[in-house]
Amino acid sequence: MTDQQMDCALDLMRRLPPQEIEKNLSDLIDLVPSLCEDLLSSVDQPLKIARDHEVGKDYLLCDYNRDGDSYRSPWSNTYSPTLEDGSMPSERLRKLEIHANNAFDQYREMYFEGGVSSVYLWDLEINGFAGAILIKKAGDGSKKIKGCWDSIHVVEVQEKSSGRNAHYKLTSTVMLWLQTNKTGSGTMNLGGSLTRQVEQDANVSEASPHIANIGRMVEDMENKIRNTSGKPIEPPKTEIRWTQIDRATVASAMKRVYSGSSCSFG
Amino acid sequence: MTLDGDEPISDQEKVRIVSNFILHSPPGEFNEVFNDARTLLNNDTLLKEGALGVFGQYCKEQLTPVKIKNSELPVLITEHNDLGSNRFFDARSKQSFKYDPLRRETSNYDSWEPEAGTEKWRQALEQELDTYVANHYAKGACSVFSKKEESKIHLVACIEAHLFQPQNCWNGCWRSQWFATIDSDTAEVKGVLKIQVHYYEDGNVQLVSSKEVSHTVNVSDEEQLAKELVKIFEESESDYQNAISDNYLTMSDTTFKALRRQLPVTRSKIDWSKMVSYSIGKELKQ
Repeated sequence: MTDQQMDCALDLMRRLPPQEIEKNLSDLIDLVPSLCEDLLSSVDQPLKIARDHEVGKDYLLCDYNRDGDSYRSPWSNTYSPTLEDGSMPSERLRKLEIHANNAFDQYREMYFEGGVSSVYLWDLEINGFAGAILIKKAGDGSKKIKGCWDSIHVVEVQEKSSGRNAHYKLTSTVMLWLQTNKTGSGTMNLGGSLTRQVEQDANVSEASPHIANIGRMVEDMENKIRNTSGKPIEPPKTEIRWTQIDRATVASAMKRVYSGSSCSFG
Repeated sequence: MTLDGDEPISDQEKVRIVSNFILHSPPGEFNEVFNDARTLLNNDTLLKEGALGVFGQYCKEQLTPVKIKNSELPVLITEHNDLGSNRFFDARSKQSFKYDPLRRETSNYDSWEPEAGTEKWRQALEQELDTYVANHYAKGACSVFSKKEESKIHLVACIEAHLFQPQNCWNGCWRSQWFATIDSDTAEVKGVLKIQVHYYEDGNVQLVSSKEVSHTVNVSDEEQLAKELVKIFEESESDYQNAISDNYLTMSDTTFKALRRQLPVTRSKIDWSKMVSYSIGKELKQ
């Protein structure tokens, strides 16, 4: 493996149809097996749901709760398939993880009114920890359009020596999948992912613990993506084909697409 | 997928994977995907031997427009004007030529003769189609081909229009293929319409859509048929475009809203301090 190959692999994943992420990723790994671990940790995939039979609750699978071929449930803190010495967060972090799961479970219910959420935390080598906050919600397919939302938030927390404040770095990926097959429009598959990053310092206190600080950042990030996604995700179809009488409409559509950042969600 | 990755795959399998990547290049991004695939395969001999045919296949699937000598209008590279050995013909300018799909260059021009009895039908359709494409597409190209099979005349009309804006991280392309089979006084008409758009700044969002339509029309002469066909093209393509627009509206107004609310029912953002202390309280009770 070379760095150049890794760069090419990531570039390829940015270009190939996102609807086939899993297949493309598995083909890439077959092609250059030495890229396997690096690719799995840097390419986000649609989240999968598993059932924690001990607790009777669903949880989400991703690279952050994987050890070998097993996945850890945030509810019972056990691996499935059973793993003798799977990696575990420290005792202090597991406590935080339990609270974080409860808090984001409520957050999910308030914003998504359904779906599944999971939070996984792990210790960092120096002064801090990291976590992944995952949410998945599938639509009910009303109006014949199937929809699905996956969000993957990875946060790195650097605790300052005083313990009274911390630096948070949040990298969020939202995947959105919309699909329909109707007589008029034929099959239409619109989907993909957007990644954004934000960093900030915040006080850490009893009134504003880590989970609250992270929660605010995740909420702001998702609100931003949610409220701007409707527009720029719309391809400039009128620019691809248009009738002459449509030119005024095209001009306004162009303006809309080009206002703000032109090629991301918002 | 093997997580331990200990069993290397065969050269044949590698070529299959790389070919598949190349064939899925979004419009306007063939070179980038090709370079990535080449570096990943890291074996130019294998790439040349195994995947050579794929480059031509990609150009044909994309209905790639190509500028040619002795013609103001480009010709589309398609499966319908493929003469084999990388040679294609342009029915409009009555020439055949060699096309290099990697360099995107033409060479070895020769004259080309249309099939007897089909040319007047083809020419009439080409004339109508040229006007339609010039009026309805920003930057469109089209080609019409004809052939005779089992005493039936087959007409194929292809339209390609693209906008590549790599500086703004998006590329898009529209492709139509229309087939008309003339059987005495009627013609069966089939159309396959495709749209693909790719946005890739800070992400990878794609629209992939296709629609098939079919009609039957009466045939009296070549001019009447050409007008009738182009009318069908225009109506069907407008219907498709409008239906896609309507879907966007529904998606952003309904589907998207059903996935995630703009704000919780309380209409205010979450009070995280309260929520965390509630979560801790709940845990203490358990």
